[in-house]
Amino acid sequence: MKNIYILGIETSCDETSASIVKNGCEEISTVVLSQIDIHKDFGGVVPEIASRHHVKNISMVIEECFQKANLQIKDIDGIAVTYGPGLVGSLLIGVEAAKTLAYINKIPLIPINHMSGHIYANELVKPLKFPLIALVISGGHTELIYMKEHYQFQKIGGTLDDAIGECYDKVARVIGVPYPGGPTIDKWAHEGNDSYQLPLPLNDDSYNFSFSGLKSAIINLAHNEMQRGNDIRKKDLATSFQNTVVEIITKKTMKALKDYQVSNLIVAGGVAANKGIRERLIELCEKENIDYSFPDIQYCTDNAAMIAASGYHAYLLGYRASLDLNPKSNLELSNVK
Amino acid sequence: MKILYIDTTTSYLYIGLVIERKLLAEIKENLGTNLSSFALTKIDQLLKNNHLEPQDIDKIIVVNGPGSFTGIRVGVTIAKIYAYTGNKKITTITSLEAMAISSKRDTHFKIPMIDARRGYIYGAIYDKEMVPILKPQYITLESLKIASDHLIDSFNYISNQDFSGLDIEEYNPDIEKIVNTFENKEDINPHAVNPIYLKQTEAEEKQNLELI
Repeated sequence: MKNIYILGIETSCDETSASIVKNGCEEISTVVLSQIDIHKDFGGVVPEIASRHHVKNISMVIEECFQKANLQIKDIDGIAVTYGPGLVGSLLIGVEAAKTLAYINKIPLIPINHMSGHIYANELVKPLKFPLIALVISGGHTELIYMKEHYQFQKIGGTLDDAIGECYDKVARVIGVPYPGGPTIDKWAHEGNDSYQLPLPLNDDSYNFSFSGLKSAIINLAHNEMQRGNDIRKKDLATSFQNTVVEIITKKTMKALKDYQVSNLIVAGGVAANKGIRERLIELCEKENIDYSFPDIQYCTDNAAMIAASGYHAYLLGYRASLDLNPKSNLELSNVK
Repeated sequence: MKILYIDTTTSYLYIGLVIERKLLAEIKENLGTNLSSFALTKIDQLLKNNHLEPQDIDKIIVVNGPGSFTGIRVGVTIAKIYAYTGNKKITTITSLEAMAISSKRDTHFKIPMIDARRGYIYGAIYDKEMVPILKPQYITLESLKIASDHLIDSFNYISNQDFSGLDIEEYNPDIEKIVNTFENKEDINPHAVNPIYLKQTEAEEKQNLELI
């Protein structure tokens, strides 16, 4: 069978990325230009600044990707581009670039949902086995998705307010950890003692999550300690916070696997790099005989390899976009079908 | 030489084909917020209607600002990727130059303007030889008016927007004249083609204030 090469392009937030993936699973080359050092000064991603850097760098990132791969545009079978969800101004640069590449070189254009990219990042580790439950946890998302087969996404639960990564960043800010605070909290959580009492958020029978209550509880706790003139035991608070999050996430994930009688779990998104969540989920999956998969750390954060991996299956299924493709900042996963 | 002209710096799409210094075809349309969706479709339409393939173009002249930030980026992204992947020559001009060159009124000074909101505009003053008397900048409309009152010869404002109380020549790009003026302007490496915003982002402005 002929090899299929997909070029992926991803600009949904503050990473400009291009990647070429062979047959949906073999990464040939990936370039990721992160703007994290630029946005750090502002305490978070500034959309207009992100867009300005994307337009400046996009063509160089694509060229470097081809050079690293030692391939040419004529070797490419499809161009997969993230068109949502994300920052609309950032998405726009990738979409316009992909459309132009596809148009000039007469290559099929494949519209990709960023979240499907996170899920398909796992294909770069090992083939997805169906049916499966996907736990997607990132700065913008906390979702449980049931998949019967390729590209059949059924959302069974999600956050009702803040995303988990957002909650990590806000808690980090409260206890004085610079942006992005998630990785530091994760590190500290392994060093402190679980000595703060925190509420287990939305501890019910649904597959939904809620983190705003937990966030408020931590803000109030920090505020009260300050008023009493007490120092916050930062590492202990990180531990208590992370344990609470891990407990509710794993509880609902394991419940979904059981209720849907599924024995395959994949974890995806930036927060899939979190050690606390990984360790606990692996422990439970091994106990329950669940086959699990986490993307490699470099594929957890935003990258175009996962977009190309997702693009491969979309390509096989015949999904195509026309030249008037426009970004959709609030694109829902189920719309990809 | 076959030149494709692209200007998406306002809500209007202005694209044209100039072949051997003659305008072959053009599209001028107010696309509003649909500009990002249809810019490339319209370029395709322009080429197809004139039986040209994207590869037939020799050079792209893209207007890289100032104007709508998003609009600028649409045109610049399409143009730089087109030039990069198609191996085409590319050069940039400003929206204000394009406006001044297109003026049909018989005045000595040309004052192109684009609304930048909150009393500000992107504007410039050019003389008859297109020498900038006031270089392109982000400036209050009031300041520009004061500057124009000091001009020693006749002048007129040009814009595709309305400014109440001002006599404005409605901007209708003379694509043939613009392209012919800049046909021999030095080519740029496609990777180095970037927008001209003339204005920092609000986050940067705020940060600079804090540093003072």
